[in-house]
Amino acid sequence: MTSATLTAAQPRAARKVRRAGGPNTGTRILQSTWLVFVVLAAWWVFSARSTNFFIPSLEQILTVLVRDLGNGVIMAGALYSLANLFVGLLVAAALGIGFGLLLGEVGWLCRIVDPIIHFFRSVPQAALVPMIIGVFGLGQGPKMGTIAFACLWPILLNTIDGVLGVEPTIRKFSKVYRIPRGLHFRKVVLPAALPQIVAGVRVALPIGITVMVVSEMFASTEGLGFYILNSSATFQVPETWAGALLVGVVGYIISMLFILAERRMLRWYYASGSQ
Amino acid sequence: MKETTTSPRLLLAQRVAAILILLGIWWLVIASGAVPSMLPGVSQILAAIGKAFVSAAFWGALGKTLLAALSGWAIAAVVGVVAGLVIGSINFLDRSTSILVDFGRSFPVLALMPVVIMLLGSNARMEIVVVALSCLWPVLVQTVYGARRQEAAVSDTVAVFRIPPLLRFRRVLLPSALPFIATGVRISASVALLIAVGVEVISQAPGIGRQITLMQQEQRWDMAFAYLFFTGMVGWAMAAVLQRFENRLLIWKRQEND
Repeated sequence: MTSATLTAAQPRAARKVRRAGGPNTGTRILQSTWLVFVVLAAWWVFSARSTNFFIPSLEQILTVLVRDLGNGVIMAGALYSLANLFVGLLVAAALGIGFGLLLGEVGWLCRIVDPIIHFFRSVPQAALVPMIIGVFGLGQGPKMGTIAFACLWPILLNTIDGVLGVEPTIRKFSKVYRIPRGLHFRKVVLPAALPQIVAGVRVALPIGITVMVVSEMFASTEGLGFYILNSSATFQVPETWAGALLVGVVGYIISMLFILAERRMLRWYYASGSQ
Repeated sequence: MKETTTSPRLLLAQRVAAILILLGIWWLVIASGAVPSMLPGVSQILAAIGKAFVSAAFWGALGKTLLAALSGWAIAAVVGVVAGLVIGSINFLDRSTSILVDFGRSFPVLALMPVVIMLLGSNARMEIVVVALSCLWPVLVQTVYGARRQEAAVSDTVAVFRIPPLLRFRRVLLPSALPFIATGVRISASVALLIAVGVEVISQAPGIGRQITLMQQEQRWDMAFAYLFFTGMVGWAMAAVLQRFENRLLIWKRQEND
């Protein structure tokens, strides 16, 4: 496909949508997408003229990307990376929410360990990569552990905030009706704190992706980060660009999926209009 | 609640006790031999922290990391605020750029680092560029949020009095978006440190992250932990200073709310 067909196809598609949907849908889609196509077209045209060895044309990058997507090189790496990310995030969420609920409910404990939490939160998570991988080896487990450790703190802090933000009246109700502890946690505190918890996971997600890339670039023989670093080390310039671009697209897709899931999970919250 | 009556001195004692307990657990774990033997004990780490504190190499590395993080951060703050105010205050631009901004903010910029290294080489300039590219998005997104929230009465007043665009930008848009900008700038400060250290860990750029990698490769675990400790302290200090600064800067806003 050339840039001309890319830009030319757009208005036609938009007009069709307008007829089907409301009067404004088409213009809205056009308004929110035209710049993307302009940027892509500009990149295409300018990179095609580039004589710099390190700036390959967009056409070349996309060709390489399609080739490596087809022969499974990237797919295997992406699966490896995403598995690390998801296990790490899951562990972080389980620990963060569990301890967060506990610390949020038990005020004195929270105040005592507050400086410790803030210290760990302040350690730049990337600095942990050489430590944890150095101690525990190159396997997949240490990488998941690093991601989990990095993602833990934002989730933990947000959960504590969420629990502290539960309305006192609701808390009193729960006490007056002698709701058992387990039920109180599960049905009163957790839902009330959920918007904050989800926000914490949203903050943790990009940190997790960054740590994932660092851990694979630091020491690995697999994964998207390794693909990028290996390509650049062997001066396969289009492959390097393609890998970086792909990680960006994957990051974008994950965060979009997350926003969709968040809207679904917190539908009652948005519907209540209490944000 | 009962706990709120705790005196500050007792709280401090409890906090110190908690930290001592944590160190005690560390010491016990090492002594029991349950973890790989290269992990240093508490006393070794404390000695290494003292040694690093007086060594010139440590301060040099710290200076390089901070210089890269702060310059990238400053560039990102200026570019992000100006671009964010323009985008957020012009409806058409806001809608047009939304996909690109969403893409940029979810892009793990570190993945782009090998590309930037190919273009600029493995040096401080590359590090600053990567840091700036990463810090730009939190500032930009927050500033756009802030600039969007123009009250109708305010914008009508601006129109009626025919306030010139530059004055409007400086005296109306900027102050009203300031709370959001402050949040974005604060978030991006911790991003700056994270990315600067990350860049140093995986490239040859000099700084704290590079030192930690080198120490780890030389099996000097005590020094590596000492450096890790100091990066935590720096991050903590940076966050505390910015929080204070933000509170002071936005004192007018809180008074308004009271």
